[in-house]
Amino acid sequence: MDGIRVGNRLIGTQAPVTVGWENIPRVEGGPFKQFVFTWFQPVALFALLAFWYYAPNSIAKASTAIGIGIGFKVLLLGLEWVNPRHESWRLTWKELATDLFYVGLTYTLIRLAENYIGSGVMAKALQHHFHWEKLAWFIGLPILVQAFLISFIFDFGQYWMHRGMHNWYPLWLPHSVHHYITQLNVNKGAVGNPVELFLIGLGIGGFFDFIPRAALIAGTFGLAIGTYQHINVRFNSPRWWRFLFNTTEHHSLHHSQDYEATRSNYAGSYIFIDRMFGTCIDGEAELLGMEGGRRMSIREQMTYPFTEGWKTIRQRMGRPIAVPAE
Amino acid sequence: MIGRRAIDWIWHVRGSLDIGPTQSAEDAFNRLSPLFRQAGTSHECSDNTLIFRKKNQAAQDRMAVFDGGILQIDTGMSGPVLHYDLNSRALLFCFLAPLLFLAIAQLTILTGKFDTTPAAQAIKQPAPKKPGVPMNPIDKALGAPAPDTSGKDAAQDKKPSPTPGYVFAGIFAALYVIGRWLEARLVRALFRAYLLVS
Repeated sequence: MDGIRVGNRLIGTQAPVTVGWENIPRVEGGPFKQFVFTWFQPVALFALLAFWYYAPNSIAKASTAIGIGIGFKVLLLGLEWVNPRHESWRLTWKELATDLFYVGLTYTLIRLAENYIGSGVMAKALQHHFHWEKLAWFIGLPILVQAFLISFIFDFGQYWMHRGMHNWYPLWLPHSVHHYITQLNVNKGAVGNPVELFLIGLGIGGFFDFIPRAALIAGTFGLAIGTYQHINVRFNSPRWWRFLFNTTEHHSLHHSQDYEATRSNYAGSYIFIDRMFGTCIDGEAELLGMEGGRRMSIREQMTYPFTEGWKTIRQRMGRPIAVPAE
Repeated sequence: MIGRRAIDWIWHVRGSLDIGPTQSAEDAFNRLSPLFRQAGTSHECSDNTLIFRKKNQAAQDRMAVFDGGILQIDTGMSGPVLHYDLNSRALLFCFLAPLLFLAIAQLTILTGKFDTTPAAQAIKQPAPKKPGVPMNPIDKALGAPAPDTSGKDAAQDKKPSPTPGYVFAGIFAALYVIGRWLEARLVRALFRAYLLVS
């Protein structure tokens, strides 16, 4: 494969990728379908923002956010059924069960761990140690500005954590597991080794004092933008949307079987962070995964970072690894 | 002692299918062979029996849910019949997953009893009323509700609760029932499509 030159890089020498918005297929079908799949993303975002901005205090709470999050993802699963991006990414029962297992881990074990060693606890410990006050001036900003800043600062941190995972072997080990997924569906963002799921959730929001409603709106930015990273739906996302926000097109390229393409599009929600640092590539891919698309079992996903890490340590220490005879 | 057969329906899908009077075992297995020429699949065929195994099968494999199985063709009263016995670790895992999530829920309750984190302390103590939170003039002008000063801390919402564990135990119990029924139907329809339609 010749690949496509993007700046100094050659993308798609190892596996097929599509580069450039003009080469990406559009939604097929009648005017109603075209209308829905063009405007769904912005309408959902602004409707959710308006809801959280004006909801009375008795409704604007975390339990409502969890309910809306579940309802929104069920709706997106319905859209995957109606208008899939690729037939080869169709959600099967096995894929759904696997994805929901990881969603379950995130809601239970990882949340439990975060309660003791998560970023909120670390921020409190640092503030206490250095006698810092919370950044109280933050609370006087307009709610939407607070919400955007919480979301942006989190995403900015996540960008560098994610980029670090692709460039530093000890961090790559837990993250590599997530790159063995061979298709994108709504809950695929949760698939990964628990160590990685914990690391990627770290943020510095705990240093700021903010109105609870702003945190809920920040969560909405993640829900109504970041969720589209992993989804099997073809949208005609408006030009401004795909310039600012991460899309399934961007993220499919990040998950492609082409090594050079995976080293792009690191941000969670705001693709303009990638544009700022020169790591954004506009395009898409259908063939995803590692090792030619080998699907990893849950058992291997749980142990892989540790077994691979152990193998590497033994190699560095100069001990030969037993290789089974052909 | 309960025989293995009495419980292995949990992860085994068995069935039989009339394949038409004119089809030999060799013809039938030839027609089914594309299903076993998939990445990660190995199979061996002898006389009237086909045995297959799958490892790291792709998500796109139409029989991805199964890890192995035996297909046999016998002559029944109305002609040749395909009998199949397929096993699935995914079904077994899904059957056991509710137990895992119930255990996690119990672990959450247990750790909550010994929880000394600030979030837990905040819940144990009565919440003090918060002083008035300044509201930005832009938010006032746009009509946003004033910030909550009731003193209920956001930490209360963050406290680990066993409820998600119970919810996911229920989800996986339902998923198992659906999967056990659905995958048996799908594989039967798949075999029928290859044997009788093509």
